[in-house]
Amino acid sequence: MGGGYLARRLGQAAITIALIVLVNFLLFRAMPGSPERILLGRIPNITPEVLEAVRVRWGLDKPVFPDQFIAYIAATAQGDLGFSFLARGQTVVEVIGQRLWPTVLLFGIGELIAIVIGLALGAYSGWRRGGLVDYVGNGVALVLYSAPYFLIGMLLLLVFASGLGWFPTFGMVTRGQTGGTLDYLIDVGRHFVLPVTAVSIGLIGQYAILMRSSLLETLSEDYIATARAKGLSGGRILRNHALPNALLPTVTLVAINLGYVVAGAITVEVVFNWPGLGTLTVEALTARDYPVLQGVFLLLSVAVVLANLAADLVYGLLDPRVRT
Amino acid sequence: MRPSVRVRLTRLVGASALAGSLLLPAAAPVTAADPVVLRVGTVQDLQVLNPWFSVVVADYEVYTLNYDLLVGFDINLQPTAGFADRWESSPDGLTHTFHIREGMKWSDGQPATAEDARWTYQLVLDAAASEAGYIGSGYLEPYLTNAGLKSVSAPDDHTLVVTTEFPTTLITQAYVPILPKHIWSKYTLSQIGDSSAKGFFKNEPPVVGTGPYQAVEWQPGDFIRFTRNPNYWGTQGAADEVILQHFASADTMVQALKKGDVDYVRGVLPDQFAALQGEPDIKTVEGFANGYSELAINTRGKTQGAHGSTNALTDPAFRDALGYAVDQQKLVDATLAGHGVPGTTIVPPYHAKWHVDPTNPRHFDIDEAKRRLDAAGYPLDAQGRRLDKEGQPISLRLTWPDSEGSHATDAQFIAGWFKELGIDVQASVTEEGKLIDDLIPKEGKGPANFDMFIWGWVGDPDPHSLLYDLTTDAIGSLSDSFFSNDRYDELFKLQQRATDEAQRKTYMAEMQNIVYDQAPYIVLYYDSELHAYRTDRFANWVNQPPATGTPLFGFGPVGYTLLQAAAAVTPSPAASPAAASQPAGSPAASASGTQAPAATSSDNTLLLVAVVVIIVVVVGGVFAMRRRARDVEEE
Repeated sequence: MGGGYLARRLGQAAITIALIVLVNFLLFRAMPGSPERILLGRIPNITPEVLEAVRVRWGLDKPVFPDQFIAYIAATAQGDLGFSFLARGQTVVEVIGQRLWPTVLLFGIGELIAIVIGLALGAYSGWRRGGLVDYVGNGVALVLYSAPYFLIGMLLLLVFASGLGWFPTFGMVTRGQTGGTLDYLIDVGRHFVLPVTAVSIGLIGQYAILMRSSLLETLSEDYIATARAKGLSGGRILRNHALPNALLPTVTLVAINLGYVVAGAITVEVVFNWPGLGTLTVEALTARDYPVLQGVFLLLSVAVVLANLAADLVYGLLDPRVRT
Repeated sequence: MRPSVRVRLTRLVGASALAGSLLLPAAAPVTAADPVVLRVGTVQDLQVLNPWFSVVVADYEVYTLNYDLLVGFDINLQPTAGFADRWESSPDGLTHTFHIREGMKWSDGQPATAEDARWTYQLVLDAAASEAGYIGSGYLEPYLTNAGLKSVSAPDDHTLVVTTEFPTTLITQAYVPILPKHIWSKYTLSQIGDSSAKGFFKNEPPVVGTGPYQAVEWQPGDFIRFTRNPNYWGTQGAADEVILQHFASADTMVQALKKGDVDYVRGVLPDQFAALQGEPDIKTVEGFANGYSELAINTRGKTQGAHGSTNALTDPAFRDALGYAVDQQKLVDATLAGHGVPGTTIVPPYHAKWHVDPTNPRHFDIDEAKRRLDAAGYPLDAQGRRLDKEGQPISLRLTWPDSEGSHATDAQFIAGWFKELGIDVQASVTEEGKLIDDLIPKEGKGPANFDMFIWGWVGDPDPHSLLYDLTTDAIGSLSDSFFSNDRYDELFKLQQRATDEAQRKTYMAEMQNIVYDQAPYIVLYYDSELHAYRTDRFANWVNQPPATGTPLFGFGPVGYTLLQAAAAVTPSPAASPAAASQPAGSPAASASGTQAPAATSSDNTLLLVAVVVIIVVVVGGVFAMRRRARDVEEE
């Protein structure tokens, strides 16, 4: 891979992140209402002096530009995202940190399952075009692609949790349970099944449809005809000639979706009360916990940028044509 | 409006649940070693463990499990033993002596004495005297300052002496937790009461208190877990552990209740509430909320630095006429789906002892409203617009905080009714922080820039705080209508000092009528608290107060301490006579003798799922390897 290509992509990512930091700062200063009011709520016995004291303590008495901006940039660069309004005495980094790994776990595994099943389904449908799997699979994929997560999640919850009683209705682990590590793992596993199914079902459709159309396009290329003319078997044509080329567009999709591993699908987490970043975002929104929201936004946008950067780099490795 | 899709889905699942319950293997028996866990679901999230920062109901629920109030509240909201087991007041009503029970211990084993109570009350006095004038979120110390707390002393370990500025019974109603001095006195006032101070005391678990259950584990945004306080002085109830579980979605919470993953839920949505009725082992309870939602009016209009649209707002006759154009029953039906009652006075019927019906009640009658507006000097012009006394067409802004989305429905109806009077209404939502800013009058260096808004208040065990909001003293802090009435202010002080209950009610009745007649607030409705609980694991759920309350989320931990194990969870039915004997007169449902099959899912199911997954993986793997092997042969 050319050094120029790498440097260019890294530069673009750095500029994007800088812009995100800027927008993130402006966005939350453009919100109506004053933060000290949010901090204090509809509190009795409040005097103008107290309000002023709160403003000074949170640095809100200084002008937005340059003082607050410089303070924000300096703190963000050091990984200091401030204090949560809602969780008194806790930093944003602590609050987000507690909620990050459940989301990564849920969406990481959900993505993996969706990628494997989706790509396999798409490739098979494309290869056996017009067959039963293609006919049914494509229809199912379209339905799944268009179904919102919360609908899939709610259906799973109604049928398999509260209905049939096979799985727990909420959370990541049964609280107040005694038992060993194995019990704990089994418990987490049981809680894991429905949310992760909802996530994968929601994603499988995308991968299957993209893989199918991408494979069909590749199969119409001249070099496939050449391969056939050489007398290669169907399986070899698929694996050695068609699939590697057909996979290219899916790399982009995988990368974009991996960016959202961190974002999570808020609705899936809300439906299953999964203690991740999605439910945190909803809580922070309803409680107007701006510092936490600001932190979540920053994390999400940086994650998407980095995932796209990774996609660009992988693409460069896979396809020599883009390296120029 | 909510889509009807969910209703249909619910029915569908009802059928499949029935089918599923037949297929399921028998539930695994609960072993005696497992702690009995009470799981409580709420859509409201606990925000703090440091009680001084309590804002939402969940915060209060948590600290009254952890700590005792000096004087508790019994099931009828009457004073009962708390940190003190007896108390008396001097004949002049100014000196109050509390007797702290002997041998009481904190949950960590340290002795709990009058000195702890003295230290806690002194902290409040210090906070009130400090520059800020308050501590934490500022919601707790008014309980003592409004009661006129003057001094506090502990002459010995079992005696606490409190003096007040005036004779009062409010001192036994103080909703202030008694904290362990040996832990809290290590921190300064600002480390306790200011969350941005260096070394802020978060009061992380395990919490040390004298309450029946102590917080031992807290995942913010998720759950908080309590275990029995081994040193509790009273009876504790059947639960060994209590878990308050936060739900981001009320739908999920109700599904969890149906399945038995939680035992009690607070904050059920109206349509779910209807769907839960008739579910096996589930009982719904509709309690009055201790509060109200009101249409508040900027009674300063354009005067005194306020920025209302018209001075008609300052005229009680104008506001009273508007009251005839509000159909409260319609709002109850449309916004609350019938789960509430039309509003009248600012003391909700939850306070059965103090609430009065207005002497001159209004009724919904658009024509009557028009007649009253005409009579009060607000005629219609040629275009049918209502004019104020300056001859300008009256056009009013109506808003509500974005945190209370359901008020959008109220606002639409009210705007429609007022338009029939010839009053144009612009209804739009305001971000809550912005609205709070808009409501500040000149006393707080604010603009008072609004005409009308819809919001609500939540009360205490005593209606005192609800009455305070409309005093002249409250302008600049809690007052958001800037209502000022000399007689009301006088009566407020009289009721504060009244030690005779009947006399106090006379004062309060007159106060309620003044506000009703002068209409700075048009109380729209008293909404209901919709709760539901399972009866197959715990029995003896008792409402606090019995007629209008709910078993949990009342005042203090009494609902938790009365809980008994239902027959189904006891290891052996014979071993638990307590479960069989329900106290007479208890409103709680009786225990169910059988365990619902669907309530416990079996590990066999998991095994089955795991086996299926493994088979899929293995078969898939073998298939892929065979394909690969064939490829190699072809090379």
